Amino acid sequence: MKRLAAAAVVLCLAAVTAACGGNADSSAGGVFTTIDALKPGIDANAPINPYNPKGNAFRGYNAEWLGWTKNHLTDPNQFYPGVAQSWQIAPDQSSITLRLHPGGKWSDGEPITAKDVKFSIGLAYTQGGTAYALDPSAAGTASDIKIVDDRTIKITQAAKNPSSSFVRSVMETVIVPEHVWRGVLPADFWQRLKLAQSDAPGAEVARAGITSLADKVISFAPPRDVSAGPFVLKRVNPGEALLVKNKNFYNAANVAADQVRILNYTGNEQVWNYLVSGRLDSAPFTAVPAGVMRRITETPGNAVVRGYSPVSEGLAFNQSRKPYDNVHVRRALAYLIDRRQVTKVASPEGGTASLTTSGLHQQAAKAWLGDGLAALDPYRHDPARAANELRAAGMKKVAGRWTMPDGGPWKMTINVPASFSDWLAGAKAVTSQLNDAGIDAEVVTTADYPLYLEEMAAGKYDLGFWLVALGPAPYNIFQRLYGAQNGWQLFGGRLRHVAPGTEGNWMGGAEVIDVKGAGRVNPGELAVRLNSVPEAEQRRIVSTLARTANQDLPVIQLWDYVNTQVVNTTRFTGFPGNESDALRLTSGVWLQLGMVKRKSHI
Amino acid sequence: MTAPVITGGAPGAPRTPDTPAIPGVSGTRATLRRNFRRGVWRVLRRKPSRIVGVAILGVFAFMGIFGPLLYPARLPRDDNALYAAPSLAHPFGTDFEGTDVLALVITGARYVLLTALVTAVITVALGTAVGLFAGFRRGRWDTVLMRITDMKLTIPALPLLLVLSTVWKFTSAIEMGLVLGLLGWGGVARAVRAQTLSLRERGFIEAARGLGLSSGHIVGRELLPSMAPFIAMNMLIAVTGAVYAQVGLFFLGVLPFDANNWGVMLNLAVFGGGALTTTTALPYMLAPLLAILLLTLGIVLVVDAMDEIFNPRLRED
Repeated sequence: MKRLAAAAVVLCLAAVTAACGGNADSSAGGVFTTIDALKPGIDANAPINPYNPKGNAFRGYNAEWLGWTKNHLTDPNQFYPGVAQSWQIAPDQSSITLRLHPGGKWSDGEPITAKDVKFSIGLAYTQGGTAYALDPSAAGTASDIKIVDDRTIKITQAAKNPSSSFVRSVMETVIVPEHVWRGVLPADFWQRLKLAQSDAPGAEVARAGITSLADKVISFAPPRDVSAGPFVLKRVNPGEALLVKNKNFYNAANVAADQVRILNYTGNEQVWNYLVSGRLDSAPFTAVPAGVMRRITETPGNAVVRGYSPVSEGLAFNQSRKPYDNVHVRRALAYLIDRRQVTKVASPEGGTASLTTSGLHQQAAKAWLGDGLAALDPYRHDPARAANELRAAGMKKVAGRWTMPDGGPWKMTINVPASFSDWLAGAKAVTSQLNDAGIDAEVVTTADYPLYLEEMAAGKYDLGFWLVALGPAPYNIFQRLYGAQNGWQLFGGRLRHVAPGTEGNWMGGAEVIDVKGAGRVNPGELAVRLNSVPEAEQRRIVSTLARTANQDLPVIQLWDYVNTQVVNTTRFTGFPGNESDALRLTSGVWLQLGMVKRKSHI
Repeated sequence: MTAPVITGGAPGAPRTPDTPAIPGVSGTRATLRRNFRRGVWRVLRRKPSRIVGVAILGVFAFMGIFGPLLYPARLPRDDNALYAAPSLAHPFGTDFEGTDVLALVITGARYVLLTALVTAVITVALGTAVGLFAGFRRGRWDTVLMRITDMKLTIPALPLLLVLSTVWKFTSAIEMGLVLGLLGWGGVARAVRAQTLSLRERGFIEAARGLGLSSGHIVGRELLPSMAPFIAMNMLIAVTGAVYAQVGLFFLGVLPFDANNWGVMLNLAVFGGGALTTTTALPYMLAPLLAILLLTLGIVLVVDAMDEIFNPRLRED
């Protein structure tokens, strides 16, 4: 009997041990768990390919850029090291010389060389982009790629049409191993590229040939992951991707996690539940209602980190539709909308009410405009001024409701995508306020975001929610107001303004605007100049454009986003703090830079 | 079961030119009506749950008809009470704008119920017409109509609605009901056809044919009344189906936004308020769910009563 009992105890112990060891991935120390906001909906069948939108290459983990862009208020050309250890930018940004990590290796042990970088740039040409546009007259393109030595490469910008976006565009190039991807590009690729970038006969055919390689690049499926990043993909299933540490990574000794689990999610509520249960070591920005945030912060170890996010939410007008062609109507609405109340309803945790409409996030506005910010009209909630503006526009108030100048009904419709709950709540809050003020307003939803953008571009909406202030590059900020959507088309280095309702011009603003104190301004032209002028001139242009946006109101800025993230310090510490310039980078970058530390007891 | 002979109309009823001059016939009908009403009352009383069912449907009908009149056109909001907990002032709390959730449910009932009614009427009218015609005429008509019905049944309604919603905004309840009705008649048509095929072989139909009565008379006066209970029950069940379908579509966010739509409320409570993550928005989610649950319960209880009313064999006395 004693023997039987002893055997039973041994069996039980064996069973318990097996049960504990059965899920080694989840219980092992040094497992960092997160989600990838860039990859909602993990596709287990997608290739390990950073060019593929669904590809199982996760930025900062097993997909590596040359350098990681810092979250700076005004300077888009500050970086953390990636594949490049250091870089030298010519004072006029005409070239960048990159030095790779000495002794840097791919996860399979092969050295990372300048040839890999050049090859990856070749792949980038098939996808297009600022530095890698095939059009010889496009702004900010690379004209020469020179391998200086095995670890050094110099990329020169075309002198004809330079752009301040060039450096950033180069640094944000994903680097893949040539020895794995070799067959994807034809042997004569660089000759073809040279021809494509010229005006010689056959250039058009060469351009088409390179562009046609895009699908081949996107669909390429390496047999296994060969990574330059701190992690290598081990396996992926519909629930999660598991990555293990790349022992050959240049900074492997300081990478705190042995494994990374990237959990799948398809909706924000799944992320909330992960956070409430304390499963995530970090989670990037997700719209979170106040009650859920309270619940999340109750979980032991969870902490909220907030920082600058160069994104603002705007209510954009289609100025080819009446009465929104009238600036007095737009101003009236700006005075009528109580932005604080809208923000409180829509984005209490992830936003702060916009100080005014300038086209800039309020933090960037302070940095760019200085005292000039105070000179802008703040559009404080003022129904009396709104009524005056509406009367100035010829609108009439009949039986407590505002009508069009001819007495016809004014039905204001705000469009938002149904899947963005914060936008929906914000739009509803705006319509509630406007209805109280006598304007018949309603919210109309569109089934999904791609369809929303498509319908918006087709000019089907009177008003819609529209992200603005997408910095830090000033051109990127103002092209949201005075870019292709407002009629300014930049093609072949030439800028032209197209008529409202054509070629994607759904904003329908005027080409030239009389701006108080600045005279007649062509804002699209000024915005493009931001790409090629020195910083002092950039400041003058930003100031003019901010005043133009403030006076002319192509959009009403509602709230400026706050990069609200959640980290859990139970297993790891050293996360970026509030306002850190690393907050917009993935936690993979934090790990590879050695910022995140493992807690000693784990 | 012989009807008593009554030689007058209903007591106190004035005689008008339209009142039939044959006292025996009108009296019989009045008596039948009275007996029917008594029968209904008796069936309802037998199980108190059935009275509860009728009361629930009565409340919903009241909400649908008069609900929006009980509140101002724009429901009040309270910025200081966003997602407020249930209280006497707000029995189901408030929503993301601080609007009373109960008011949203009550004012939103009209769209949901009107859609459901339109859907049910179309489903039953179309399904019955097609089923009766196919079953009674048989032959080529039957083949053609049933193939059309089969084709309709093979079309998955939800994906089709999702596609339709990209081009059609369904801003009115009647539009919504029309589409749901046109997508939902197949099952009723098949069932009515089967009933018709069974009934047309019965003796009373044979007798009617032998008497040389017209097809219209046979269908309208002989077949249809026999199937009335079945059709009525299908109509009520179609109401629940329509409520689920439309609320589901609004919940998925593919239909226009209307803050007091029950499906939109569920969507906002779950995806905007995190009702499945925290208790803050739970009452906001539970209120429309409870409304749907109660409506379904009311319908089920009334269907139970109808079954007995129309089917004498189920009566216990």
